[in-house]
Amino acid sequence: MIEPLYVAGRSALHRLPAWLKLAALVAAGAGLFVLRDPRWLGAAFAAAALLVWSTGVSAAAVWRQVRGLLWVLLAVGVFTGVFQGWMEALAVVLRVGAMVGLALAVTLATRTSDLIAVCERALMPLERIGLVDAGKVALALALALRFVPEIWRNFHEIREAQAARGLGAHPVALIVPLIVLTLKRAQEVAEAIDARSL
Amino acid sequence: MKSHNTVLIALFAALIVVLSLIPPIPLPGIPVPITLQTLGAMLAGAMLGPVRGALACLLYLGLAAIGLPVLPGGRGGLGAFLGPTGGFLVGMVVGALVIGWLARMLAARATQDWAKLGGYVVACVVGGILVVYAFGVPWLASVTKMGLPKAAVAVAVFLPGDLIKAVIAAWVASRVERVWPMLGR
Repeated sequence: MIEPLYVAGRSALHRLPAWLKLAALVAAGAGLFVLRDPRWLGAAFAAAALLVWSTGVSAAAVWRQVRGLLWVLLAVGVFTGVFQGWMEALAVVLRVGAMVGLALAVTLATRTSDLIAVCERALMPLERIGLVDAGKVALALALALRFVPEIWRNFHEIREAQAARGLGAHPVALIVPLIVLTLKRAQEVAEAIDARSL
Repeated sequence: MKSHNTVLIALFAALIVVLSLIPPIPLPGIPVPITLQTLGAMLAGAMLGPVRGALACLLYLGLAAIGLPVLPGGRGGLGAFLGPTGGFLVGMVVGALVIGWLARMLAARATQDWAKLGGYVVACVVGGILVVYAFGVPWLASVTKMGLPKAAVAVAVFLPGDLIKAVIAAWVASRVERVWPMLGR
């Protein structure tokens, strides 16, 4: 039920190595912070939009990502416009739009497994000094993904069971059994893993 | 029981995902519908304690960062972190840490039920609101260059919803604690 946002494709952005894209994203984020001229920020925003479009993503998927942000940007824009002038407001909206656009383009054009590989390499120095256990991190990632659909199903079962008894959607009555179920399940899974001595 | 901690962290991260994806609940008298994402982060801290709670939030954010649509409304990817509200995401990790620590300081020592509930409420308000806002507001102010006082005013609309969530989280935590004690573990 949770599909990665990645869009399969062969664009220039798809072919770049993941670490380079991430490094470029960090550099671009820092660069955008020092730019103040709305014309440059407008150019950056256009470049970001072009990159997003070049990944071949559907308009509906982009809309789902930016829908929530539009209201925040609108509020920030009006707020800045009233207090600091409309040029400044334009710069702020373009800067945030460009940053989010660039990050979205990297997310759309980079496989989840490639991003995990970059994380693993970044964690390597920490593992060497004994702070992080890569095996445990991988196990936790896999378990979390595996259990999202199950906990989602539990949530709906609890809600239906309560609706059948004539109870409305009371958050406490819903979440308490959901958490107890999750804690119980965690113990069972841990026992199963230890029994197989993995 | 060596896998127990890893499994608890993973399953709580999955629980935060589920709570984030539940459609927002409109509450009477509050302009913005509330999502249960922050409730999940508060509960991770209150139930799992400081280290495991913070790691569960970190794992949840990791899932979002590698491009899975686990943030409210099916959002995800690195864009969510670079946007104006990215600080509220990063603040979740430290918030859960503080909640876990305070819950173990206050609620674990309380003997009466009401004192326990009070301890959880204090933990959730301090960690889940004060600490999270301490990251979110300066982040919003610097991304939008609007200045700290204005950013603080702008996020004030979310305060009533977050206060309700803190009380709900405390209530849920004290109820779960009676059925499945986690404070000593």
